[in-house]
Amino acid sequence: MSGFDPSLLLTVDWPEIGTATLDTLTMLGVSLLFTIVFGLPLGVLLYISAPGQLRARPRLYAVLSFLVNVLRSLPFVILLIVLIPLTLLLVGTSIGVAGAIVPLVVGAIPFFGRLVENVLREIDRGVIEASQSMGAKLPQIVFKVLLPEAMPGLIGAATVTAVALVGYTAMSGVIGGGGLGDLAIRYGYQRFQTEVMIVTVALLLVLVQALQTAGDALVRRCRFG
Amino acid sequence: MIEVRNLSKHFSHEGRRIAALDDVSLQVAAGEIYGIIGRSGAGKSTLIRCLNLLERPDSGTVTLGEQELTALPEAELQLRRQRIGMVFQHFNLLRSRTVGGNVRFPLELAGTLSPAQMDARVDELLQLVGLADHKDKRPSQLSGGQKQRVGIARALANHPDLLLCDEATSALDPETTDSILALLADINRQLNLTIVLITHDMRVIRQLCDHVSVMDHGKVVEKGSVLDVFLQPQHAVTRSLLAETGFGQGERVEAWRARIGVPLLKLTFVGEPTLSPVLDKVGRETGLRVNLLSGTLSEIRDTPCGQLLVGVVASDVELPALPEIFAREGVRCEVLA
Repeated sequence: MSGFDPSLLLTVDWPEIGTATLDTLTMLGVSLLFTIVFGLPLGVLLYISAPGQLRARPRLYAVLSFLVNVLRSLPFVILLIVLIPLTLLLVGTSIGVAGAIVPLVVGAIPFFGRLVENVLREIDRGVIEASQSMGAKLPQIVFKVLLPEAMPGLIGAATVTAVALVGYTAMSGVIGGGGLGDLAIRYGYQRFQTEVMIVTVALLLVLVQALQTAGDALVRRCRFG
Repeated sequence: MIEVRNLSKHFSHEGRRIAALDDVSLQVAAGEIYGIIGRSGAGKSTLIRCLNLLERPDSGTVTLGEQELTALPEAELQLRRQRIGMVFQHFNLLRSRTVGGNVRFPLELAGTLSPAQMDARVDELLQLVGLADHKDKRPSQLSGGQKQRVGIARALANHPDLLLCDEATSALDPETTDSILALLADINRQLNLTIVLITHDMRVIRQLCDHVSVMDHGKVVEKGSVLDVFLQPQHAVTRSLLAETGFGQGERVEAWRARIGVPLLKLTFVGEPTLSPVLDKVGRETGLRVNLLSGTLSEIRDTPCGQLLVGVVASDVELPALPEIFAREGVRCEVLA
């Protein structure tokens, strides 16, 4: 960091930073949306099918749990490349922002699903038993008990997932995905333009801070009583 | 109303099979309050969960009215459960809902009322349990007793014909316990609702129940009317559960006899004689002079009753004649010479 001249900040290509920020936000927003759409049901399924739970299906649970573990143990960079055929099939291209979204979603679903499972496990068994004693059917238990009771935890899980996704987007540069992280690597690391790195890292920091603050505020608003 | 036949249920614990219920049978009449008492681990919790099949017995049947619950398919059982209320030790309210929302919950599950009808029913129920002013509060803002009132209102929402209470007062302080017991007695009377409760507290049985079963190690060791069980306990477990109430203290007799060395009488009063000066009257007629050793005078449900252990200091009549004389006054006398 020695000899860094603040005036260099003036030479930063701000329009490119702007494009990169937009790319990151797009990747983050779209992939978070799809992660929740697919990961929430996955988490619920993991929870209710686990041994001793509401609809215990030990074999189904073992298979799902294994798949989740496999996907979570693959480094994201590998996932980016392995998924290229699937990405081509789904969005018609395997590069750029659109090409990055499929691997981001596939990488984040098992992560979020597992978090959801853990949040649901924290729900008091007595409350579930009470609803069973009132004749609640499984869908009623899921939508009227599990999800509302777990809402603060679920928002917390979504926040953690969003922050993790910001980290993943940095690697999307490998397939030309763009975004702030990619910019930091290409300019800041590979071309020794420290000022670009500082700006992008600062922006990423602001983004993560904003996500966490917004998530915490939501949790606080829906915490009970 | 309820007929439980030969229920058995085993759990595996660290490789060993433990009988939570061992061939349990009992009958509950419509409109009565039936208590099941036992120490923790006696199997009473498993038993009450078998009555609405939250827990499936390994064998045996549960029949409710004409319907054998143990033979119902899952969907019909769910439907039937809507009309079996249950109240829990730890209330088990939904934190995500208000007081009103919690009471509304079973109505939503049943889905038979319009939203306006549901609102009206919620107001009616909150009125019944004395929480009309707390409708929009969260459960976390309520005291334990208030939470249990919400639990009771919720359990009554779909007009049940049976209410199960799982240690409903065990998490409450004595004063609050009394108010919840009074509420349950009230509901039993007003709605002619059959109540089955489990507890480890003989006070609950004494204040509330008509009949009682005593459980130990998964078995019913004694059952009968509460008066009989309190005044003439047969089983050691029953006597030890009664210890704190002052009733049924058979084992203390020996200690007293050794200490004072005179013949002892055990006098049991039920109803009217409890309130009249029987000892005084018999004393004047027979020259009986007694030394009061221990005993209790109390109410079981609404019947005044008592049990006294006395030492005979002097008597003009023979001891064997005394039971006959006391019987004329409506008092049961046992000579423990």
